[in-house]
Amino acid sequence: MTASPVPPPGDFPAFASYRLEQSGHGRLRFTGSDGVMHDNVDVIHAFPVSAPQGAVAIIATDGTELAWIESLETAPEPLRTTLERELSVREFLPVIDRIEGVSDGEPADWTVATDRGPRRFKVAHADDIVRCGDDSVLITDTDGIRYRIPAVARLTTRERHLIDKAT
Amino acid sequence: MTTASPGRLPVAPVAGVPARFAVGQDEPVLASCRFDLDAALRFADGWIVLTPHRLLSDDPETGRPPPDGHPFEWPVDATAELDVHLRAAVGRIELLQAGRVAVQWRFTAARAKGVHALEDAFDQLVHGRPGAEAPRPGEAARTIAAPPSKALDDEDGESGPRASWKSLIRLTGFARPYLGMAVVGGLLSLASTAAALVPPYLTMPLVDRVLIPRQQGAPVPFSTVWWYLGGLLLAATLAWLLSWARTWTLAWVSERIAANLRVSTYAHLQSLSLDFFSGKRTGDLMARVGNDTDRINLFLSVNVLTFVSDVLLVALTAVVLVTLNPLLAAVTLVPFPFVVWLAYTVRARLRRGFSRASIAWADMTSVLADTIPGIRVVKAFAQEHREIERFKVANDRVLDANDRVNVTWSFFGPLVSLFSELGTLVVWAAGAWLVFGGTVTVGGLTAFLAYITRFYTRVESMIHMVPATQRAAASAQRIFDILDCRPTVAEPPHPVPLGTVRGRIEIDGVHFRYGAREILHGIDLTIEPGEMVGLVGTSGSGKSTLANLVCRFYDPSSGSIRIDGIDLKDVSIKEYRSNLGCVLQEPFLFFGTVAENITYGCPDASREQIVAAARAAGAHEFILALPAAYDSRIGERGGSLSGGERQRLSIARALLVDPRILILDEATSSVDVETEAAIQAAIDRLVTGRTTIAIAHRLSTLRRADRIVVLDGGRIVESGSHDALLATGGAYSRLYHAQSKEADQPAVIS
Repeated sequence: MTASPVPPPGDFPAFASYRLEQSGHGRLRFTGSDGVMHDNVDVIHAFPVSAPQGAVAIIATDGTELAWIESLETAPEPLRTTLERELSVREFLPVIDRIEGVSDGEPADWTVATDRGPRRFKVAHADDIVRCGDDSVLITDTDGIRYRIPAVARLTTRERHLIDKAT
Repeated sequence: MTTASPGRLPVAPVAGVPARFAVGQDEPVLASCRFDLDAALRFADGWIVLTPHRLLSDDPETGRPPPDGHPFEWPVDATAELDVHLRAAVGRIELLQAGRVAVQWRFTAARAKGVHALEDAFDQLVHGRPGAEAPRPGEAARTIAAPPSKALDDEDGESGPRASWKSLIRLTGFARPYLGMAVVGGLLSLASTAAALVPPYLTMPLVDRVLIPRQQGAPVPFSTVWWYLGGLLLAATLAWLLSWARTWTLAWVSERIAANLRVSTYAHLQSLSLDFFSGKRTGDLMARVGNDTDRINLFLSVNVLTFVSDVLLVALTAVVLVTLNPLLAAVTLVPFPFVVWLAYTVRARLRRGFSRASIAWADMTSVLADTIPGIRVVKAFAQEHREIERFKVANDRVLDANDRVNVTWSFFGPLVSLFSELGTLVVWAAGAWLVFGGTVTVGGLTAFLAYITRFYTRVESMIHMVPATQRAAASAQRIFDILDCRPTVAEPPHPVPLGTVRGRIEIDGVHFRYGAREILHGIDLTIEPGEMVGLVGTSGSGKSTLANLVCRFYDPSSGSIRIDGIDLKDVSIKEYRSNLGCVLQEPFLFFGTVAENITYGCPDASREQIVAAARAAGAHEFILALPAAYDSRIGERGGSLSGGERQRLSIARALLVDPRILILDEATSSVDVETEAAIQAAIDRLVTGRTTIAIAHRLSTLRRADRIVVLDGGRIVESGSHDALLATGGAYSRLYHAQSKEADQPAVIS
């Protein structure tokens, strides 16, 4: 377990002083201002649900934080493009287009059509279906895969009824 | 110091002290108490009275006034000592003079409070201890403002028949905001009842002027028939519409009353002091807020509604009956008083039954609230079976309580039916006789029978109101029990504004009793702004109690705690606590996201602030490793996180509040040594620049403490820096060496 105190945000290297680039096989390489290279680094959204355009951290394989980007929106190019591409790969979040059916009971079987094709999954508990403030719904299945319904208002009455029943 | 001069001492109220203890004007009564056991431990009732020079008392041997009426007396001088020992339920007071026991009194724990007050006054008198003082002038008023919280009465509490009405009448207070709608509902009730009374009135001429003449060969006056039938249809439709509107209106009102009641009860629960909750079972409180309010809602929306319309109908029917034929009406109403009398007798029995059922239900909920959070313990000890058994027992009690009520009710209900049948029988007999006599027409009798059937149906349904009322009254009583509890830690009526404090804490002669047991015996401690003080001592030495007093979860029994020179009792609790941060041994996390848990004390914090607090608490990196980083949901009590992780979240929570005063209550004792090292860095950052009271078993946690205070048996036994205490070789150094030996390497204390 790393116990080293994390320096406050201000101590992080400025954008210009490090490089983030592809190193083949979809891996990312981070080169710090000190010239030290970290291979296979990870890019993590700090607030993936509440602020998807917000802060992003670059993390080494051992969990140490290498860099902190305060906001994705204000990140300079080409860093921003790299980050967004990586995040979209890393954050697998299928969007549910249509709900075919939801079984009764717990766990419930969901049959849906997503933007990545049809899918069946199990939801353990009503608590795994979270309504976000912006009319979207986030569902986490028993395997930890998350699905998103961008706008409940755009669903059919029957689909809305299924969600109401499940939550 | 010898006996203090009377002039310096405040005069305590002499209220209640019997006249035989009459002392002169120049000899004020400083304190008095009662002892309730004689020398042979039989119950008795005697008094002890303390004046500036003497201790007066009834006969300690018999616990009665001495035969000559003059109380015994002992002089109080500088060599006098009063010792109070309390073991379990029986206590002993000893007056020592020059080291020898002069006299002994015995008492039960029921009198402990008064005895301790006398002891405090005695110590103040003889030793002039500032802490254990007699009430100061300002304090008396405060005691009145904050009466001790009334114990929740779990038993029925022979509150008398009036109590049920009282609590129901109090319910109307919650109806006040919806008075307009309630009045509309009442008027609609009246109208719909009147409409329902029209049909039988129309059948009367239909029989007398159409049907009977037709039987005797007269032609049918169709125009009138249509008129009558139309009238019947109209009345039925009107009654339907009106009762629909009435039901909706009154249900609307009662839903709101119940919702109000729920919120009031919950808000009141939140305002109560910690000691209220330590004595209560979660399940019982949950049942009160949930079930009991719902029962009241049902009562108001369904039962009261029906009852009001029943009463109206019965009254209006009675009027119609009397106008139709006073004699027949009088005969019909004969069984009615019996029904009323029956209802009255059965009422008390039902109330007790329902109250018992309510308590049984709360017991059952308590089993659930107990075992579900403790499920790991249950499983670890393979006690599922026993818990099921426990639930079964509680459930059987619910069943039994309900069965008993049902016995009463099932007997009572049909009995009322019998009376109403008898009523109808009387009408048939008397009516037929009157028809033969020619005073009543057949149509009149038909209408009468229609009315009387309605009358007794409604009376029967009114009787249903009896159990419903009793059930609702029992529920209302249980809710008002909560609402009537006053917080023991009371908000001052005129709080002194505190603002942001500097953080100087002065603990001055603080005693604390929990029940009859005294936990702190006079603590004096001053902590400078920004100073970190470590509290060390064995379990039960009073460390946590002292921290709880500083948090103002409780108030000291005597003595005072001052913040920047202001007595804690004079400042608003909310304002004070906003200056306070707590990291407890078992960090409680709420169901929600990581970010929501960090911002618990400071909901308006920005995301940047959240991240900064998490970084400082050393929580940032493990949070990023969670599936949705700061937006990850953590289960109830943070189930998916390790102990160290939960603790660091709670440190982040305290950091975000940026408190001036920080309480660390065994913040690292639930984690392993390695995790502790990680948390320690976070704690070091947290305490910088804040007045800190840190309680620790593991002394290594206190390496940054400016001063270490060792408590033993509710007293401060040592105080000083780590090095100074080690050098003196006292209690602290013994503890320290014991721990160093235990650990593989010596604890890191620099």
